[in-house]
Amino acid sequence: MSELNIEATERTPAITLSGPPWRLSLSGESYPEDVSAFYGPVILALDEIVASAAHAMRAELSLVYINSSSIKALYRIFEGLDLCRQKGQRIEVCWRHTEDDDIMQELGEDFQERFPELTILIESQ
Amino acid sequence: MDISQAVDMRNSLRANRVIMAYNGAVSDELMVTLADLLKHRMLSNDDPRRSKVVFSVFMEAVQNLIWHGRDRESPAGMIMIAEDDEGVCVICGNRISRTKSTELGHRLEQLQNADKDTLRQLYREGMSRSADHEGPGAGLGLLEIVRRATSPISFTFVDVDDDSVDFVLAARI
Repeated sequence: MSELNIEATERTPAITLSGPPWRLSLSGESYPEDVSAFYGPVILALDEIVASAAHAMRAELSLVYINSSSIKALYRIFEGLDLCRQKGQRIEVCWRHTEDDDIMQELGEDFQERFPELTILIESQ
Repeated sequence: MDISQAVDMRNSLRANRVIMAYNGAVSDELMVTLADLLKHRMLSNDDPRRSKVVFSVFMEAVQNLIWHGRDRESPAGMIMIAEDDEGVCVICGNRISRTKSTELGHRLEQLQNADKDTLRQLYREGMSRSADHEGPGAGLGLLEIVRRATSPISFTFVDVDDDSVDFVLAARI
């Protein structure tokens, strides 16, 4: 019920969500014209997962560029993941950035700082 | 404008090493078109790190213009990107209400004087702040610009009439 398969556009990332066990992936650029309309289904799907039975989740985030209003939406996604963790589920987040991209690296660190109890691995590729 | 004025203007753009100059209404559609252009230009740049920062500052600045513009159709928008020996300068402007300018001026003065650690802390706090009043990014865009600029940002308000001013912001990268 909560599965998603959104194809990437020039200004929005590819998003897939499948499971259980849940696997969420976001990759590409993010500067949609309407952030709420674009990320709404993802946040809704995560809310459903939070409300459902316990299952592990792995999230892979490989974003190239993300604007500040998308960061707000991503924050909501992290909140959903953190709620799953609080329910005792094993949650793993992998934050990938290209080598030398200190902007995305710092953003990964900012999320680590805001969600200290969530396992967030930052990987440089 | 006659042809000699156009040539003078072109010479002035060249002398100031202007990469991009736009005057007119700023819309989401325009932003995407210019972003695309900038992205392609940057692919040929030999400093990918700086290119990425320029792109990011450009996007936040233009989104800020779109959001805070007094009138979405207002033709008072401007976008300029120029190079110099030290780097790239992104300059954006738009018409805003005079009331809004006071608040914005105070906010920008605070950010101008903040050190890197304070800016990062403000940014982290801003990530979760509700977007009710300050636009879709609730001030995060301005923080991103200030944080990425290699020297303190500069800004000015140009008087238009009793109700409006033109807000211009410059960030060096």
